[in-house]
Amino acid sequence: MTKAFLIGALVMPLLMMGLFIVVMPLMMEANTTPLTGTVAVIAADDVFLDLQDRLSSNENPNAELIETLPDIVKHDPLASAILRNGSINNTDIVLQKSLPNELETLKENVRDGALSALIVVPESLLRTTYQETNEHLVVLIPSSFSPNHTDLLSSAAARTVVDVRLRRLGHVPADMHAMVKRPRVNAKRLTHDGGEKEDNEAARRIIPMAFMLLLWIATFTSGNYLLTTTIEEKGNKVMEVLLSAVSPLQLLGGKILGQAGVSLIMLLMYGGAAIAGLITFALLDLIPISHLVYLTVYFTMAYFMIASIMAAVGSAVTELRDAQSLIGPIMIILIIPLALWPILSEHPNGLVATITSFTPPLIPFVMILRITASTETVALWQIVTSMVVGFGAVLGMVWACARIFRIGVLMQGKPPSFLQLLRWIKQG
Amino acid sequence: MSSALEISGVSKSFGDTKAVVQLDLNVPTGSLCGFLGPNGAGKSTAIRMLMSIIHADEGTVQVLGTSALKAKDRIGYLPEERGVYRKMKVGGFVGYIGRLKGVKGNVLRKRIDDWLERVELPGIRNRRCEELSKGMQQKVQFLAAIIHEPELIILDEPFSGLDPVNARVIGEIINELHQQGRTILFSTHVLPQAERICDRIVMIDQGRKVLDGTVASIQSQFDPRVIRIEPVDINCDLSAISGASLIPNSQSSEHLLMRLDDEIDATGVLAQIVQSTPVRGIEIVKPTLDEIFIEQVTRSRGREAAIQVRKEMSHV
Repeated sequence: MTKAFLIGALVMPLLMMGLFIVVMPLMMEANTTPLTGTVAVIAADDVFLDLQDRLSSNENPNAELIETLPDIVKHDPLASAILRNGSINNTDIVLQKSLPNELETLKENVRDGALSALIVVPESLLRTTYQETNEHLVVLIPSSFSPNHTDLLSSAAARTVVDVRLRRLGHVPADMHAMVKRPRVNAKRLTHDGGEKEDNEAARRIIPMAFMLLLWIATFTSGNYLLTTTIEEKGNKVMEVLLSAVSPLQLLGGKILGQAGVSLIMLLMYGGAAIAGLITFALLDLIPISHLVYLTVYFTMAYFMIASIMAAVGSAVTELRDAQSLIGPIMIILIIPLALWPILSEHPNGLVATITSFTPPLIPFVMILRITASTETVALWQIVTSMVVGFGAVLGMVWACARIFRIGVLMQGKPPSFLQLLRWIKQG
Repeated sequence: MSSALEISGVSKSFGDTKAVVQLDLNVPTGSLCGFLGPNGAGKSTAIRMLMSIIHADEGTVQVLGTSALKAKDRIGYLPEERGVYRKMKVGGFVGYIGRLKGVKGNVLRKRIDDWLERVELPGIRNRRCEELSKGMQQKVQFLAAIIHEPELIILDEPFSGLDPVNARVIGEIINELHQQGRTILFSTHVLPQAERICDRIVMIDQGRKVLDGTVASIQSQFDPRVIRIEPVDINCDLSAISGASLIPNSQSSEHLLMRLDDEIDATGVLAQIVQSTPVRGIEIVKPTLDEIFIEQVTRSRGREAAIQVRKEMSHV
């Protein structure tokens, strides 16, 4: 394991996670300098009083937004830090009621820092009957004013306008807010076995994709590493030294198995982080244990397919750019499951899904997506058949790639064509 | 004497190119054998077959009484194309190859330090391979080939790219290993070098063996055709000598060389020379491997081809 790998595969993701989970929330928390000074308000008396109450009560301007968010977002450390950011301590603000004819003077005061801000609420915005207006609530701030403070004042003033309208109509604003609050929907799927299942739409779409991407990242990162190291060993001529100690098949086997360990570490690391996240939000029941078992099985299938292809291509070329022409068509095939993701996750037991889940080398990616996306259990015979066909294909691919590897590792010069690779398989 | 290497009737083709044709080779245990031939003669292909890196189309290969695959830990191999892991440290690289060959732990560490000292590279254990000069990298790779103290050492062009000082160091180590009883096969296209240190020579051209035996036995097979004369007066006139002619540009301040014409008996020519001018010394010179090789190539491929091969070998 090189330093570059450790940094790229282990340290960087951990740093990123640390950044999002610890550092950024802390930074958001730290960025809560209270708004101080005097804010002038040109508005009707009832608007002024409401705004004064609102700003002195430390009300979170994002409270309305927070209410509408799903729990998963509300409990996210970064999201909650961003949302909490609105509830800054603003008790140091002094509101000063001003008159419209003082507008220009007040603007000057804002410019030179004598005032922290100026809020202008036109009377037309307070009409109690709906009427189209081009007028805006105006918040004037100095050039160096914090965006958070701008949001705070803007949001408080806008909410005040709405509440004042309601009061002028004789309503209690809190009651009205409660009245217009949308009820929560609890969708449930009635299963064939007579039971009911919570339908978590977001999770149903995200989790299968996450599983497939996990498989992709773990296998392709390792496959790519195999490709580059094989090319490097050929390029720096160390291959023949290695072949004097081990046979080409032992070398290929050692490379693939060794890298499998690395790939597994990545899978465990990324998968573990995802599971830790689900545990944090008490959502672990979204992933049954059987899915993790299938993930392991299909990871093994995908890894050996990709790794053997990458090692064979690496052995056949002497430069990375030569590898691109051979890898390109393979990548196009392997990208099919990603391209078909919307169809596969919408109809996990449909015709396209069923056909592609028996087509090597798409099997592991499609099957893991189907199994995790399907609200009904995927038929056992399909799972078993996919495994039989998939592992059969793995054996065939490893065999063919080993034959290419055996010839390719000692070849120099022009990269082979696909036809030549087929000839090598025949000769090998 | 038992054979360390024994190959029989081995052939290998790449497409339409016949790299090795019906090659027989027997290297006795404990010998220092030179495997000679011009570039493209098939030396490296033959060596790769010996190492089981590639497989012969036909024929049998036995290394240390078994196949090279089974005897890999007992063989040290320096390939023609030099290579190291550029980012690896010297100690790490040699240690990795040593471990692949079955040497482990403190023994390996001590050997690495001792050998680095021996090849005049002390203190580079923790330097990255990419920081070393080409010659230093070559010595590091040579170490990797012998770090497991193999019974049989196969070196493909071990001196190519080395300066005279480093070539001398490697040459001394090869001799030392030979004195210890190890069998050494090394390929080279520099014939005088092989003539100097080998006790046995195998020469191939165009994939076929053209010579095989001890240096002395090979030289004795060839009729010496050059006479070395040390005349009292280096400017003496030898134009009247019949049956031999002066070799152009061969004259030094002390001696000159004459080549016997074809099918002329040397005895009569020697008598003519002694009679025509007083000499301090006169001898029939043993043919060098260079000359023998040229003669072999001339026989099989003609004079023009031999001259071309000679040029290639002296240029590389």
